[in-house]
Amino acid sequence: MATEKKFTGGDLLFNVLEQHGVEHVFGYPGGAIMPIYDALYESNVEHFLCRHEQGAAFSAVGYARASGKVGVCFATSGPGATNLITGLADALADSIPVVAITGQVATAAMGSDAFQEIDIFGLSLACTKHSFQVTNIDDLAKVLHQAFAIALEGRQGPVLVDIPKDIQLAQVNGCLEHLAKLKNKVKLPPANVGSAIALLSQAKQPILYVGGGVGMANAIDELRSFAQITALPSVSTLKGLGAIDPKDSNYLGMLGMHGTKAANLAVQECDLLIAVGARFDDRVTGKLNEFAPHAKVIHFDIDTAEINKRRAVDAAILGDLKVNLPALAVPLSIAPWQAKCQQMANDYAWDYNHPGETIFAPAVLKEISEQMPKNTCVTTDVGQHQMWAAQHMRFDDPSNFLTSGGMGTMGFGIPAAIGAQVSRPRDCIIAVSGDGSFMMNVQELSTIKRFQLPVKIVLIDNAKLGMVRQWQDLFFNGRLSETDLADNPDFIMLANAFDIKAKTVTEKSQVSAAIAAMFDHQGPYLLRVKINAQDNVWPLVPPNTANDKMMENS
Amino acid sequence: MNNYQLTIKADDKQVVLERILQVTRYRGFLINGISAKVNTGTNIGTIELMVSSERSIGLLVDQINKLIDIKEVRVDNSVSQQCIA
Ligand SMILES: Cc1ncc(C[n+]2csc(CCOP(=O)(O)OP(=O)(O)O)c2C)c(N)n1
Repeated sequence: MATEKKFTGGDLLFNVLEQHGVEHVFGYPGGAIMPIYDALYESNVEHFLCRHEQGAAFSAVGYARASGKVGVCFATSGPGATNLITGLADALADSIPVVAITGQVATAAMGSDAFQEIDIFGLSLACTKHSFQVTNIDDLAKVLHQAFAIALEGRQGPVLVDIPKDIQLAQVNGCLEHLAKLKNKVKLPPANVGSAIALLSQAKQPILYVGGGVGMANAIDELRSFAQITALPSVSTLKGLGAIDPKDSNYLGMLGMHGTKAANLAVQECDLLIAVGARFDDRVTGKLNEFAPHAKVIHFDIDTAEINKRRAVDAAILGDLKVNLPALAVPLSIAPWQAKCQQMANDYAWDYNHPGETIFAPAVLKEISEQMPKNTCVTTDVGQHQMWAAQHMRFDDPSNFLTSGGMGTMGFGIPAAIGAQVSRPRDCIIAVSGDGSFMMNVQELSTIKRFQLPVKIVLIDNAKLGMVRQWQDLFFNGRLSETDLADNPDFIMLANAFDIKAKTVTEKSQVSAAIAAMFDHQGPYLLRVKINAQDNVWPLVPPNTANDKMMENS
Repeated sequence: MNNYQLTIKADDKQVVLERILQVTRYRGFLINGISAKVNTGTNIGTIELMVSSERSIGLLVDQINKLIDIKEVRVDNSVSQQCIA
């Protein structure tokens, strides 16, 4: 006679996940998380086996960013848990809601240097928004509910829950807890609307500086209506791309190290900077004390700690952008300044003229952007190709451009695309990668194969660690140290080994047809675009330099 | 270098002290002294932290306040002083 299966910590985990609407998780099993994988067997949650825990973490990040839901990943203790860390750090830097569940050795073995024991709870302190270690089965449900609440509340971020094996196996007493409502601990000061409106109405040359916080606050409509009513010239950070409608005639493009000339010059000249969900990152500001030197600052944010962190502000508007942006939406009389900004946008528009038959990556990415279906989501890796994608592709929502901003993590693109595709099975997902970055999580091609995910990979191949090579050429006297990748594998054979159709283009004349073929193909596809190893990303603001002193292609 | 004394009230939760110490170090403050005790009746801990830094104390207060288990952070100005050296 079969004995009745008891309801364990592992079962409870899946019940709580389902309570939070979790349908998909990314993970990799191992000894200390086996009871959870055993409970998975009977759960309705769909698990995506990745081929490295870093891949699982990035897929959870991509899933969260593409869908607005919490991304969930699983790993075993020890090396499984440490492999998650880069993904968690990435999620922390870009404020992405992720819940990571790690298995841990049994409580009795903890602290004894047991097999595959690592203090992941201690390691998590610097790379999560919050973390828990569950040492009593009666706490498990409450902790899991809190983990979801904390990941989503205020400024979003990753939360880790470490669950020892005996807790996963323990019998659950009592019934399932209801969803916890997190008490809002930080009381935000009342929005400083009066003084901000005064600053706005006095300004002659104001600029709207849009960051990733707008998308995270789900305040795209409020931002666009604010931009429309005020008719402010606007610039965007890397993570803010897609928040402002790229067709808005007052939009000047991305600012910062590889920003457009118009965006950077306008910000340097402005007399009022209205920062919305942006944090004055060093890649944005260049030399901080010469950034927007004439500007007063209004700063909208959800995180009190961002106010005055890198730039003193004149008015701080703390709280929900959805509420606060409409409060400041007043028409402004700034016609001469608008005209000047539009003139700069025209004068410094991108030039796609590129003599010769070698392929010009910016033109390829522009063409892909023009041909891609509506609601396409683009992920990138890190390097020159990432900056070219940011400069030359157009996005109508931040959830359609997923790039590792704060951490700049190579290896992000492919697993993030997997997560995005799982969350949006009907949308086209494109990963723009470089030949260096591609190899950092190349094992995830196997995940693409296993789940037949129709991800399109555009591999910009310069046989170099291009961005580092560019800096060595420009700032280290051309001493090219460890940036040559001439011995790359045959990427076409490699893709084919994972049942991914692949094609190389080496000349401009082949590009349009190859892009069309990629979109026409139903399944996953790799388009390898061979470019000149010497091509650089322009403009470039050198390190510790004011943003108006950018280097340009000469 | 500026010296400050912080008085922090926190829920007596796992690793709350480690979190405070980690944030303090990472945000560029040296710890010159610490005392910590828990009221077992209320389960609220009180941590007194003497720190020094070139940076403004507001930066640290805001970051400690963000930690989930923190209830209150006060800067005791009467103890703050400029270090001549
Ligand atoms: C994990 C990680 N390691 C190292 C770096 C430093 N880094 C930044 S860009 C870059 C080169 C990227 O090369 P590739 O992916 O081929 O892109 P490309 O610049 O050639 O377009 C490197 C090594 C990084 N950002 N992330």
